[in-house]
Parts: sequence; structure tokens; C-alpha cells
Amino acid sequence: MIKVEHLSKKFDDLVVLKDITTAIKKGEVVSIIGPSGAGKSTFLRCLNLLEYPGGGSIRIDGVDILDKKTEVPKIRQKMNMVFQSFNLFSHLSVLENLTIGPIKLKGMSKEAARLKAMELLRLVGLAEKACNFPDELSGGQKQRVAIARCLAMEPEIILFDEPTSALDPTMVSEVLSVIRRLAREGMTMAIVTHEMGFARDVSNRILYMDEGIIYEEGSPEQLFDNPQKEKTRAFIQRIRSYTCRISSPDYDLYAMNAEIEAFCEKQILPKKTRDSLLLLVEELLQIYTPYLPATVLDLTISYSEKSERLEVVCESAGEAANPLDSDNLSDDDLGLTIIIKLTESIEYRYINGKNILQFLLIK
Amino acid sequence: MDLQTKIENNAIVVTISGRLDAVTAPEYEKRIRELIDNGNIYFVVDFEQLDYISSAGLRGLLVMAKLLNAKGGRAYLANVKGNVRSVFDMCGFNAVFKMENSVAEALAMLT
Repeated sequence: MIKVEHLSKKFDDLVVLKDITTAIKKGEVVSIIGPSGAGKSTFLRCLNLLEYPGGGSIRIDGVDILDKKTEVPKIRQKMNMVFQSFNLFSHLSVLENLTIGPIKLKGMSKEAARLKAMELLRLVGLAEKACNFPDELSGGQKQRVAIARCLAMEPEIILFDEPTSALDPTMVSEVLSVIRRLAREGMTMAIVTHEMGFARDVSNRILYMDEGIIYEEGSPEQLFDNPQKEKTRAFIQRIRSYTCRISSPDYDLYAMNAEIEAFCEKQILPKKTRDSLLLLVEELLQIYTPYLPATVLDLTISYSEKSERLEVVCESAGEAANPLDSDNLSDDDLGLTIIIKLTESIEYRYINGKNILQFLLIK
Repeated sequence: MDLQTKIENNAIVVTISGRLDAVTAPEYEKRIRELIDNGNIYFVVDFEQLDYISSAGLRGLLVMAKLLNAKGGRAYLANVKGNVRSVFDMCGFNAVFKMENSVAEALAMLT
């Protein structure tokens, strides 16, 4: 139904979409997730030509919509959009918001448009608000009117651009349930959303966008339960991380401690966790110190908001050697004993010339 | 780390505060060595104000114990609690050092 190939878009020097290639089939519900600034909304707006792409092609049912001969209004009727900020006409009643498009653009009679509008308002549970004006409605009601208005144009595809972002948490579910119902009825939809649970429930496929590309895509189960790529994993598990590079045995332990404490404060970690982390890092640095004149240590602390777990990863280049092996310890095993007591799991790997030690802190 | 000493009942009471870690342990060892070299062999180390200890700090304590052993001396630790106590527990140091709940109790054990 929609076929996008090598789509690109930049605003002045800022490249927002680098190279997007994907397809959306009829009846498919595709959710687009990713961090702010990843280009999700721009991608959606390019599909509807609210933004004109810089390169690539978009085909809707085989029609190249970037061809200058293509009638854009007709494309927009086929592929309607629901915006974050509702975009209702405030000077028109709810009913008029729904009838104006079909009457003016589709040449529908006023009565037919009214009947259709009332049917759609019933579908979104707002028939009794037909004569009200948008300002008299709550955010959730406005967005449901916006969805009904979109449906009034009988689109084949609906693009949702963060439909719940502007809503109070109490109003999110009423809008999501309307979208869920459309999904059940087989409507083709592309949804940019930050509602991960909803995206997982309602979608056939998830696109994770980052760095201006579709960084990873798959079924909701694949993407949420077993993301293959690092950034996807970090986003899904809401991982915040701090990395420091230590290249000399004369590292400044207290400066590093201050940064780790600031990181812990930002994640609102309890004092006990912070103390354990500082101790773990010091013990690790002690074990790595003999290696430091010859190698560089990258130490990364990651905190997953989702699982509330802290992980520490030490990476150092060189020949395969686990610094925790008793043969490689320069001191006694006091430090190692502390490390073992502070952690739930320790994993050693040697990948691409790097010794990687991964520690999961006890909760 | 701050280290203060005073003499009570013929013993040296060492009060340490702050952190006993990789940065401060060498200074601790140096000061203890000096005290022992000056003929002091009965020690009480007060941990009341110590917030943090790492394996480097524990090694400093082991050095002290070894030096005292060689001279027939003895050391008691007082007020080992909280975080610091946890690290002692992790490393089984409760069995290595004699510990009392207060400096007064530790001094009583020495006399």
C-alpha cells in the first residue's frame, strides 16, 4: 500500500531523515517509536507531503506521490492525519468540523455528511457533543473528534502523530481505545507514539527510528522482548548510561566518584545502591590499574529505569585475558571478594580484540 | 581522610574520619607505621566517623595487624558500623580483628 525507498529530508544543514526504506501493507498497524529528534514525525509528515522530502520515493498503491503530476489533495484524502495538537477548527461546532471536509472536498450533500458525521461521533462516543464547540471539550474529547473528522474523509490510511502526547494521563486511554477499535476493524495505520504498552498491543510491526534511519524493526515481541541493537535496547529498557575513559594509573578517583554520584542523583538511586556502585568501581579500578599504562579502560555504568537494574561494563583492548582470573590479580583477592559480594552476575567475553567484563549489581 | 591520635590508658586511640580508600590508605599506613616505630604497640582504631572503606583500606588495617603482631602488640577496632561494617562482613574481617562497640569498651579490653 505504501512503499518508501531511500527517503531523505533535511532542514538547512540538519539531516533529519538519512535513508528510510520501508513498506506498509493494507490492514497493517505500524507503530513508529524512538527518541525525540529521531525524525519520526518528519517521516510521517513526509508521507502526507506536509513536508516535502529531499530525496527518495514514496508510492501509494503504486502511484509516485512525489511526481509533480500527482494531485496532492487526492493523496491526502486517501491518507489522512491525526495531529498531536488536534488542529480542530475552533469557530466550527463539532458536527461542522466533521462535515466541512466531505462537503467541500468530496462534494457530499449536507444531509449525507451530517448523517455520516453523527455515525462517526457515535463511534467515538461523542454524539451528544455534536453541537458543542471544541473549546467546550476536554483534550481527550477533542482528539476523539479529530479522529472522527479524519474518518469522515473515509481515508484508506490514517497517520497518527503522537495522538496522546498533549493529553492528561487520565484522557490517554479513551483516545487509545478508539485507535484500538480502528485497528481491530482493519484500518491501515502508522502511529508515532511514546506509549510503549499501546504500541506493543496494537501494532503488527514496530519501527524503531534513530539517527535518521529505521534503526531496527520487527514484530512487537521481537522489538520489545529481544531487541538486537544497542540503541534499541537502551531505548526500550529506558537505559541511561555514563561512560568514562581511564588511560593512566594516575586517574583521579575522586573526580570520577563525583561524576558517578551526579549520575546516581540524576537517576534518583538510593544511597545504598550509590555506595555499592562507588565501591564496585573503586575495586575494579584497583584490579585494572596494573594494565593501565599499556591499555585504555572504558568503564560504562548503565541504569535501566524499566528493570531498575545497574550494570557496569569494563572494556579494554589487548590479548584475551580475564583481569579477574586469580593468575592475573596483582594483589590479594580482597578486591575480587568484594566485587563478587556486590554483584549478582559477572560475565567475561573477548570480542574483536577487547576484553569485556560485565557486572550486574545486586538490587 | 583525617586521622587524629591521642593516648588513653597507655594505648593509642586513632580516630579516622572520611574515606579509607585507594587514595588515603597509603597515608594511613605511613602514620600507623610511624606510631609503631615510635614504640606504641596498643591501639584502638575508632571508626565512628569513617564513611567508606575499600579493599585498599582493609589492606592498611592488615599491615597494622602484622606490624603489631611482630612486636607483640594488639589492636582493637571500635564503632565499626554501617557501610564500613558491610565491607568487613563481605571479606570476613570480623574474624580477623577484635571489635568493640565503643572506644571505652575497646580500651577496657586492652588493659
